[in-house]
Formats: sequence, structure tokens, C-alpha cells
Amino acid sequence: MALKPINRKADRMVTYLEHQGAVPPAEQMAGPVDPAGANAGVDENAEDVVALGGRLPEIPEIPHIPLGCSLVFAPGWEVDEAGGTAGLCQPVERDLFDCHLACFWPAHVPDQLNHSPDWTGKCAAAQNDWRKLEMIFP
Amino acid sequence: MVQRPRLTRTRLFAGMFLAAGAFVAAGAAAQSDEEGFPIEHETIRARCAACHLPDSEGRMSRISFERKTPEGWQTSLQRMIALNGVTLAPEEAREIVKYLSDRQGLAPEELRPGLFEVEKRMIDHRYLADTDVEFTCIQCHSMGRVITQRRTREEWELLMSTHRGYYPLTDFQAFLRMGPTPDQPGPDGEPPDTRQPMERAVDHLSEVFPLHTPEWAAWSATMRPPRLEGTWVLSGHQPGRGALYGTVTMGGGGERDAFVTRAGYTFPASGETVARRGRGLVYTGYQWRGRSFESDEADGAMREVMVVERDMNEISGRWFRGDYDEIGMDVRLTRLTGSPVVAGVHPRALQLGGGEREVRIFGAGFADGVGPGDVDLGPGLTVNRVVSASSEEIALNVTLAPDAIPGGRDVFVGGASLAGAVVVHDGIDRIQVLPRTGMARVGGIVFPKGYQQFEAVAFDDGPDGRPSSDDDLELGPIEVDWSLEEYAATFDDNDIDFVGSIDRTGLFVPAVDGPNPDRDRNRNNVGDVWVVATLAQDDNGDRPLRARAHLVVTVPLYLLFDAGANVSTGASPDPAASPNGRGSRTPGPNPGMGGSPK
Repeated sequence: MALKPINRKADRMVTYLEHQGAVPPAEQMAGPVDPAGANAGVDENAEDVVALGGRLPEIPEIPHIPLGCSLVFAPGWEVDEAGGTAGLCQPVERDLFDCHLACFWPAHVPDQLNHSPDWTGKCAAAQNDWRKLEMIFP
Repeated sequence: MVQRPRLTRTRLFAGMFLAAGAFVAAGAAAQSDEEGFPIEHETIRARCAACHLPDSEGRMSRISFERKTPEGWQTSLQRMIALNGVTLAPEEAREIVKYLSDRQGLAPEELRPGLFEVEKRMIDHRYLADTDVEFTCIQCHSMGRVITQRRTREEWELLMSTHRGYYPLTDFQAFLRMGPTPDQPGPDGEPPDTRQPMERAVDHLSEVFPLHTPEWAAWSATMRPPRLEGTWVLSGHQPGRGALYGTVTMGGGGERDAFVTRAGYTFPASGETVARRGRGLVYTGYQWRGRSFESDEADGAMREVMVVERDMNEISGRWFRGDYDEIGMDVRLTRLTGSPVVAGVHPRALQLGGGEREVRIFGAGFADGVGPGDVDLGPGLTVNRVVSASSEEIALNVTLAPDAIPGGRDVFVGGASLAGAVVVHDGIDRIQVLPRTGMARVGGIVFPKGYQQFEAVAFDDGPDGRPSSDDDLELGPIEVDWSLEEYAATFDDNDIDFVGSIDRTGLFVPAVDGPNPDRDRNRNNVGDVWVVATLAQDDNGDRPLRARAHLVVTVPLYLLFDAGANVSTGASPDPAASPNGRGSRTPGPNPGMGGSPK
């Protein structure tokens, strides 16, 4: 990510590093050109801010899951709203009873209201008895 | 012959009962202002009329006002059996699905955008016609379920009501707006859209997916029993195993639109050969649904979902396993009409440098006594001699000129050709991992694993020497070293230690389901990782080429809507390794498929 210094200290750092050859000159860095043409100048009005982002690098688009045959929610069944698993309700067994009783993920968890009223009948607590759950084919 | 609807108007009397949380969709008569399809099938009239009352035109409530794929009708039938006390013998169910799919199916043009749904493809589908409506629908299921249906407006409304009745939380999940009614103009300056999401969905879906369309009118006028008997040239690709070539022979299956098949094909990369026999049924004049097996019904069972092109000379689609539909192959069948057909060449990518090499051409109908002069591989490629030849494979000794221009070559054999069958290149410049985003599911103890097969594809940067430009040459799948790397989504969660492993073919095998006491807060073995492909370069000192893809290893599915699935919870997708684990079931009536081979 290209950063454009806007205070004196940061500018001095860039000038020093350019001299050392550690970073390319500012005009070769991605980002808007300083309107004042002040590659070598110092902004006298600079506030105590280290840098502002120039043009942001192109961020890869977040993976679009459902990928055709699943879903997305916030958090979702397969992925959270960021497209990963960090925000999922975990472990999933904690959430199974609620999902079942409230028919919350009807395409993923058997629904208690209609198709599978007794799905969790053998489980006092899904987190402990999850092995007693059975695969459901509606 | 398809019965054309008549222009009549009938009274609206569609019933919906919401009582104590239980919903019963009991239509009573045909809908108003829309023309439905008369139902002439005796079994449907006999078994369904108690709730779906027919009107004087022979139209039955709800049923007459929808069009669907065979899978769509099958799902409806399964729900009627599961929740509404309908009893049907398997053969009756098959008859009903066949009748409704033929009389009230989708035209080929209508089905094509939703093919991924019936072909069970894990693709990155986006519905761009209305992203708000897409958001409403994909909260719980794929958009593919939606775009493979056609309904009257009232039917779309009743569908929403059915959802709300069966699954009351859909109101909060998707159907009703959470938050205040918008009162400010949108970014486009238009007045705010105050409709509820489900109202917007009905408006949109009834406009773009109506019951009657020009496509269906045209297709239903010309639809006829397909004539598929004969020999077909098979070409395909299975991720992880590479290209495949062979033939499929089709014969009559003893009933209308039914066929029996015998297939033989080779994976040139490994030399493995496979023989299959199967049975298929064609719905709506073009939708092939079949099953095939390698020896008996328990061995290598695959489902076949394909589209017969209008000229009945091409068939294409996907063959996949019923239990693990993520494992399958893309296939294309070309009718053998007497002229030879070139299906493909192995190896397809030929690198400049080196001496003579062997190239094999696959296809069918090759004439006896093929000589070097009968084969034209294009500029820079000289056929020295024919090493061996049969009607389906020609092995050649070939010399590639050192100054050959990199690029694709069309291949000619006799009177047949295949565009871009060979590609000449001067070295691999980059590799790519496909799919770029994958998903697997933990499983193996109670619920089945969900696998993900990755594949590395090589590229030459082409004449301009720049990567990812239009002139790049795709060189096809290559063997690489596979590994996993941490995907830094959450600090210190070390997903890589728990999610599973990837084998040398690029198949990711997830870890087991259930809470893991070794993880923070008993997390499941879910997580995000990079799947990394590494290609060691030659001895020229270049750094290895690397590419990676994002893999989400996530929670299981706790139900399958697939009546024919026979799911194992074993650790391997190989049925021989774990034919029936807990959670498996005997395949039930599966009217959408062709049944077992006889």
C-alpha cells in the first residue's frame, strides 16, 4: 500500500530513505501526485498524522459463498459475512438445538416444526450427545 | 404431444391455513386470470385431487400453474409424501415426475442459466438481475432452485406463503425488512422502495420467471422423443485425474425416452481405463438423467445429468457421484455419424526443445491404415511415423521444430479436426490453482465429510511475455506439490493444525466432525487455509512457481434433500474403503433418475 507522508517527520523519513535507495521516489509510488508538486517540499500545515493512504491497492473480492449451492448469512451456516469461518457459531453443536427448534437453517438442519420433530429426541444436550443425531433425508 | 393451455378465466380459490405453527397448503381450485396446464395423468388426478381440486378445464390447483425441472417436481413430490400423507409406489412417482417434467418443464434456453443446480456444481454463482432478490433467496438455499422454476404471479406468492408457513423464521431471516421503512430517495434519485423483500421478490420473479414464455411455447411445439441410439465419442475432464476420452454406445431402454448405455474411456495421464454400463431417461425432450456403474450397482456408481442439444448430435453435462456429488467429471458426447471425430490429444501441451516425442490422438472412427500424411498437427510439428493406430486412438512419433511459433494448433485427422487440440509453448511461466475458492465440510464420525478437489493449471505468458493477458496460453493441468498454509483470519487460531490434509492429487480430506477439546472453546475442526501448489522449476536456477487458493473448511450439512443419496461417513471418498458408514441409507425411490441398469 502506498503511503504519502503529510507531516514533516514522515517527509524527512522518506527523503532519507530515498537517498538510501530503500524506497522508490514518491512519484513512482502508487497514489495521487501531490498537487503542489511537493515531492521535495514539506507541508507547513501538516498535522500530527503519519500518513494517509494513497490509492488503495486492489483488494481481492471476498469469496462469494454460496458458490451455487449453499448460503451466506451474518454469520451464516457455511461462512460468516467476511467469507470465512472465524465468525461462525462454534462449536456448531452449541447451536444445533436452536436451529432445529426454530427451523433457523431449514436447508441445513432438520426442522422441528414439520419434517423432523424428533430429531434431537435422543439428545439431552447436543454438545454432549451430538453423536446420537442422525442424518436426515427429508 | 403437449396440451396447449386454453384462454379461460376461473374463480380464485386458493387455500392456505396457518394453525398452531403448522402450515397446510391446500389449494382448492384453479387460479384466476392465469391459464394453467390441464392435468391428464390418471395417477395425478386420482392421488392428488383430494387437495388439488381440478376445475372444469382439468386444471389442478397449484400443480397446473408451475413448471420445473425433474428435480423440482421430485422435491415437491417428496414433500407431499413426507408431510401430506401421500403414498405412492416408486414407479408411480417416476411416472408423475416424467409426465410433469415433459408437460410442464423448462425449455433448454430457460434451464441453461440454472444448469449448475441440477449438475451439482460448486460454482460461484451470481444472480445479477436483482441482487436484493438474490439476497432474499440465498439466505437459505441456492439461487439455482429459484431460477429453475416458472410460476404464475399467484404461484410465486403462494410459494412465499409456503415458506413462511413451514419455516416461520424466514420472516426474520429474509422476507421482512428489519429496520425502519426507507423514506429517502436512493442513490439513483428514485423514490425509496418501501416494499418488503418478499414483495419485491414476488414482483421480480413473476416478471422474469412467468409460467408462460415464448421459449417454452416454442420448445413444447417441437419437443419430441430423442433418438439417441448409436455410438458417441466421449471427451471429458475430471479434476484431479485430467482429461478422459472414449466412447458411449446407446441403445433403446425398452420404454419411451429410456436408453441403456455402455461406456469405455481412458485417462491418458495415468493410463487408467474405465468401463461403465448404465441407464438413462430423457425428460422434457432433452434433459438426460442417468446412472451408471463400473461392474455392479455398488461399484463406482455415478449419476449423469446432461443436456441433449437441439440437433441431437451433441450431449454435454456432468457425471458425478450420488453420495459425494463434489466428485465428478465434465463430459461431452459427440455423435459418431460415419466420419471420424477427434476428441483430444495427449499430451496437449508440447514444450519447445528436446527431440522426438510421442503424441496420442483420441477419438473415434479413425480409418484403417492411417499414415503420417493423414495427420496434420500444424506448423512446426512433423509427424515422423505412426506408432500404432486403432479406430479410437492413434499414437504418433512427432518432432517439434525448435523455431516453432508458440500457440495453439488445430489438429486434422482424415476429414476430422479439433481446434486448439495441441498447444506449443516455450515453458511454464505461471500456475493457477482451481477452484480459486473451495469449500469442504468436516465429517466422518456422524455426518459425511465434504471433500474438495483442487487442480493446478499451467500457463505460458504468451507472445507479450506478460502474465494474465489475453494472449496467455493455457497448458492444462500439471502435477505439483500440494501443501496447506495458514490463512490469517483470526490471530493464533492455527486452523492448519486441525482442518485436515491434502493429498498428492490435490484432494483435500477434511478432519472429523464434532467439538474438538484440543481447540480453544471446543471449536470444530473448521477453519480457513490456503491451498498452495508448488512447481519446482528445472535446473536453470529459477525459483519454484507457486499459486494458492482459499479453502474454507466448514460445518456439516445435517440433512440432504437428495432421496437417492447413499452417504458414507467414512474418511475416504472411495466407496470400497468405506461403503456404508453411519448415516447411510439405502437408495429410496428416486423418480428423477433413470433407475438401475438391468
